[in-house]
Amino acid sequence: MGYLRQVRSAPPEAEIETSCLSVYERELDYLFETLQRLGASPREVEDLAQEIFLILHRNWPTLDISRPFRPYLFAVAFRVVCAHRRRRGREVPYAYLEAEDPAISPEESLQSKESARVLMAALETVPLPRRAVVIMHDLDGFSIVEVAARLSLTRFGAYARLRKARKELASALRRMLKERVGR
Amino acid sequence: MRLRDTVTDQEVKAVMDRGRQIRRAPDLVRARLLARARAAVAASTAAAPVAFPEKPAAWHERRLAVAAAALMVLAATGAGAALYSHATHSAAISPTPQRSPQRPMIPASAPEVPPAEPAPQLVSSSRLQRSHRSLSPQESYAAELDLLQRAQSNYASQDFPDALMLVAEHARRFPTGRLAEEREALRVRSLAGAGHGDEARRALAAFAKRFPRSAFLPRLREQARAADE
Repeated sequence: MGYLRQVRSAPPEAEIETSCLSVYERELDYLFETLQRLGASPREVEDLAQEIFLILHRNWPTLDISRPFRPYLFAVAFRVVCAHRRRRGREVPYAYLEAEDPAISPEESLQSKESARVLMAALETVPLPRRAVVIMHDLDGFSIVEVAARLSLTRFGAYARLRKARKELASALRRMLKERVGR
Repeated sequence: MRLRDTVTDQEVKAVMDRGRQIRRAPDLVRARLLARARAAVAASTAAAPVAFPEKPAAWHERRLAVAAAALMVLAATGAGAALYSHATHSAAISPTPQRSPQRPMIPASAPEVPPAEPAPQLVSSSRLQRSHRSLSPQESYAAELDLLQRAQSNYASQDFPDALMLVAEHARRFPTGRLAEEREALRVRSLAGAGHGDEARRALAAFAKRFPRSAFLPRLREQARAADE
């Protein structure tokens, strides 16, 4: 009986395509936001998102989609951005995006845009490995265990990065907010 | 000083709180990203090998080995040739072991049949079945129409690179499709719109050669001329 084993039949190809595309479509806003938080410029975001989609599509048959998808997506985005930076070799400062949310009032929108602009600028000052941890934990709300697992860190390492990143981010935010008040 | 720090901390917290919101990506970017993703899926679907070739092929090879062994036994007992050809024909494997002189005889106990011939045959025959399925008139027309409608909407929103990408995808999948004339016209217009004057002229010349009586021609000539100017 040892030669008998349970096998799972592969889902039909069309179903794979549809679900990969539909999940990508559902998570597109999150991916877009994440890439910007990781410092991708508006010009780069589309190419990077496409690169991430191709990775998802390639790995889709082996993915366990019953588990939370965003931590995985973040980890893929982080690695793609890191690889892109290595290729590019330097960081290009960018003017920040204009994403409209029709559900909120103009005042709120202005405030929200301004906050987003300040936050993105402050995130830029945090080195990418620590930035990824603070984004995942403090902005996306993932647990430290998930963060450590997805970024291939020990839990201690993740905490250490988080602590340092928080300090750097808070100090950058304070500086920028003061500058804004001073203007 | 203390008060000032406290206020700043609150502001920092407020900025972080607002930063947790996931804002909606601009619609145009969304549309462009989804079109690129769909095109990538379509390209991979068209180029990919059949979904699960390994296991069925291996299983089929073993069945072939057993059938071949049985036939050899039959041939040895004198009941061979006619039944052999009948059986191999019914198994739908075209290169029979007897027809290829260099092919070694298959031992009954060996699951690893000298490989290369049968498996690609099986894959290509399934490919033929797939392509036959995808070439049913309604399906192919609907797929053509869908691709060109997306290309047209990209063209209408002046997203010429994506329009050209979809046009190229259509040309790859349906080189002589029923909407080939519309596709080539759209190619000329997209190239002209994108400001690629030389390429637009070349595409227009190819179009005029292929569809000399097309109703699109006068308008395309105007557009290509406008792109040149």
